[in-house]
Amino acid sequence: MADRLLFSKTGRAKYISHLDLMRTFQRAFARAKIPIKHTEGFNPHPFVSIALPLSVGYSSQCEILEFTLLEGTGYEEVPERLTAAMPEGIVVHQCYPAQRKLKELAYLNYIMNFEYPEGRPQAAEPAMRELLGRDSLVVQKKSNKSKKGYTEVDLISLIRSWNLECQSDTMTLDAVLFAQNPGLNPELIRAAFCEAYPQFAPDFVTFHRREVLDGEGKPFR
Amino acid sequence: MNRTLEHILPKVQKPARYTGGEYNAVVKDKQSVDVRFALCFPDTYEIGMSNLGCRILYGLMNEQDHIWCERCFAPWGDMEEEMRREGLLLYGLESGDPIADFDFIGFSLGYEMAYSNVLNMLDLAEVPLRSADRPDLTPLVVAGGTCCYNPEPLAPFIDFFSLGEGEEVTLEYIDLYRQAKEEGWSKEEYLREVAKIPGIYVPSLYDVTYHEDGTVAAITPKDGAPATVTKRIVQDMDKSYFPVKTIIPSTEIVHDRVMLELFRGCIRGCRFCQAGYAYRPVRNRDPKLLAQYGKAACEDSGYQEMTLSSLSSTDYPCLMELCDDLLDYCAARDIGLSLPSLRADTFSMSLMERLQRVRKGGLTFAPEAGTQRLRDAINKNLREEDLLQSVRTAFSGGWSGVKLYFMLGLPTETDEDVLGIADLARKVYFAWRECTPNKARGVRITVSTSWFVPKPHTAFQWEAQIPVEEYQRRVDLLRDAFKRDKSITYNWHDPQTSYLEAIFSRGDRRLADVLEWAWAHGAKMDSWSEYFDYQRWMDALAACGLSGDFYAHRVREKDEVFPWSVPSVGVSREFLWHERELCYQSQTTPDCRTRCSGCGANKLLTGGGRCG
Repeated sequence: MADRLLFSKTGRAKYISHLDLMRTFQRAFARAKIPIKHTEGFNPHPFVSIALPLSVGYSSQCEILEFTLLEGTGYEEVPERLTAAMPEGIVVHQCYPAQRKLKELAYLNYIMNFEYPEGRPQAAEPAMRELLGRDSLVVQKKSNKSKKGYTEVDLISLIRSWNLECQSDTMTLDAVLFAQNPGLNPELIRAAFCEAYPQFAPDFVTFHRREVLDGEGKPFR
Repeated sequence: MNRTLEHILPKVQKPARYTGGEYNAVVKDKQSVDVRFALCFPDTYEIGMSNLGCRILYGLMNEQDHIWCERCFAPWGDMEEEMRREGLLLYGLESGDPIADFDFIGFSLGYEMAYSNVLNMLDLAEVPLRSADRPDLTPLVVAGGTCCYNPEPLAPFIDFFSLGEGEEVTLEYIDLYRQAKEEGWSKEEYLREVAKIPGIYVPSLYDVTYHEDGTVAAITPKDGAPATVTKRIVQDMDKSYFPVKTIIPSTEIVHDRVMLELFRGCIRGCRFCQAGYAYRPVRNRDPKLLAQYGKAACEDSGYQEMTLSSLSSTDYPCLMELCDDLLDYCAARDIGLSLPSLRADTFSMSLMERLQRVRKGGLTFAPEAGTQRLRDAINKNLREEDLLQSVRTAFSGGWSGVKLYFMLGLPTETDEDVLGIADLARKVYFAWRECTPNKARGVRITVSTSWFVPKPHTAFQWEAQIPVEEYQRRVDLLRDAFKRDKSITYNWHDPQTSYLEAIFSRGDRRLADVLEWAWAHGAKMDSWSEYFDYQRWMDALAACGLSGDFYAHRVREKDEVFPWSVPSVGVSREFLWHERELCYQSQTTPDCRTRCSGCGANKLLTGGGRCG
């Protein structure tokens, strides 16, 4: 099996898109002089693949990239050397041989921060609890595959667990969501909340991926 | 990161353009520098980041401990809208600080259609547009780039222009500024002093008067400003700064690769070509040094592509040696090596074959004119046989697409010349039929014509651009000629942009009002069809009581005082006039290596050396 990196993507790097991030890694490996396997064919290029693309603007401390380290570089030296070759905001934490398949990656833990710089309305909290406490919450999701241009998903069935904490000017939702087949983008929770309770729509919402989890809820590596 | 910016970014397209933080972006402690420079490119991030001149100046300034140079680009419409709504001022990408607080705001001016962006960026920065409305020493608004050889339409907005290559003069005027700041000079005092630095043109130190017919009567220098400002050049390319470490964008840009500048200048002397005159004299870089730079730049950047850059790469004397060296290095690392600006001769084709390991997509040639007579008249010394031999080699080698670029409206052009374009394209088609190993695959021959824009400081600076109806007639003539050729696609350039270019490239100071009017009525990003509005510019001319045809379609007298009489590229006016006369006799001038034609540019070489 391939090798893996665990890295975080925060700060200014949040805005690097998925495709651009792959290109950034390809170049960073070259800059760090860490030889990795290239694709074969007409236009050979360094092979990298990122599990579960992160939406532009989200931060994460648990991104996983697959590649194949060629001989000559030890796993332990990769994080430091690669981080030094990265743009601001991308930090490589671990490099290791893959032990399990990516399809075992079942859940994602997101932290969503609803910001109310003018002060959080008291009733926003019970409103969110009401929304997430429903038996089902069907929303429309954009889809290129569907003829209608959207599909319907039930948010509730794709949320494994959640916890809500409030401060005077924020409301923080810590949620474990299905990761794939199908996965749930936490943006849909924000959108559903704003639609159900437009009077409590926050000024801004930040999204942060805290952990990738396997079927048992343990960190996936 | 600024909170407002963070809230805006999720709403705009390609937000990575607005964040900074790329690999090799230079971040300094603002307390420890005494000059902050905003290097502004009046177009999008993708275009500006591809500019070699900006890469050089950025690296060069930031090598100095006391200078912090940051980048600034024109935001796309969605971003601009958000910035204006949220009151976020135009900022330097590295620090996020408003550029209004910087010491210098420096624009790179490469094409006229970016002028409206200059004004828009100043406005987004909340910096008054006109120099006269900025009484303080800072920020100084300066500009460089090829448009500065006739910067008159921007004269009231820019404090001073830097003519020619910026490697040395930039540090000189910054040094003078440090002195000014220390000694508490006024802006006027600084501008008077900076005008004494060779290559610096301070437009406010010149009074321009006009004849009743609208032509310039006189340009009078004041306060000791020089009558002629000659561009600066780097004397020794081997000792000049080369940007080995460049910013590697985290998002895709137009020229996303290592750029290896082989030489400056061009030996060819095509009479329509401003770059060909403006970058004289030819100065080569040592091939060993280039190979070293190229390899080091690949290592530092991680780029998988390198391109050799110059005005005419085939004319680099050590091209083979350099390519051999680089090919060995690149092949071992899957790095692609590309070579644009090749002449259509057999030597180039054998080289292309060696370089192009993959992707035999398209080949591009620019014969510029359809007949040998007209090519001789414009001194484009490309023989039909050379072109055909090149495409034969290419087609035999499996290429299946060729693009051919021409201009319509060149001086002395007749209908015969226009139809010659169709003949030439057909000969290229027959060459394909004759040589291709695979007829079933078909061939794509694309012919594109643009409308010739006479440029200042060229042999055609006196010429009129042909009227738009005439351009359209010649387009139609050619289109008819191509009617039956199914394998040839004919594209022609929309005339509206070319007309405006013709106005502004040889325009005078009065056009500043037109520019400001158009900007105030929404002009920006005029090189993008999404934004360009021709009628707005026509309205602007009308509102200011000026005629576009006066600038674009008028033949100038031999001795007319040009608005660009003060800036000099080092090539004498007499030489250019002589070249124009040769054009009308369809006579060629040999390239600079075969014989020096005495244009005057060799005088720019202080060592008394010869060009090339």
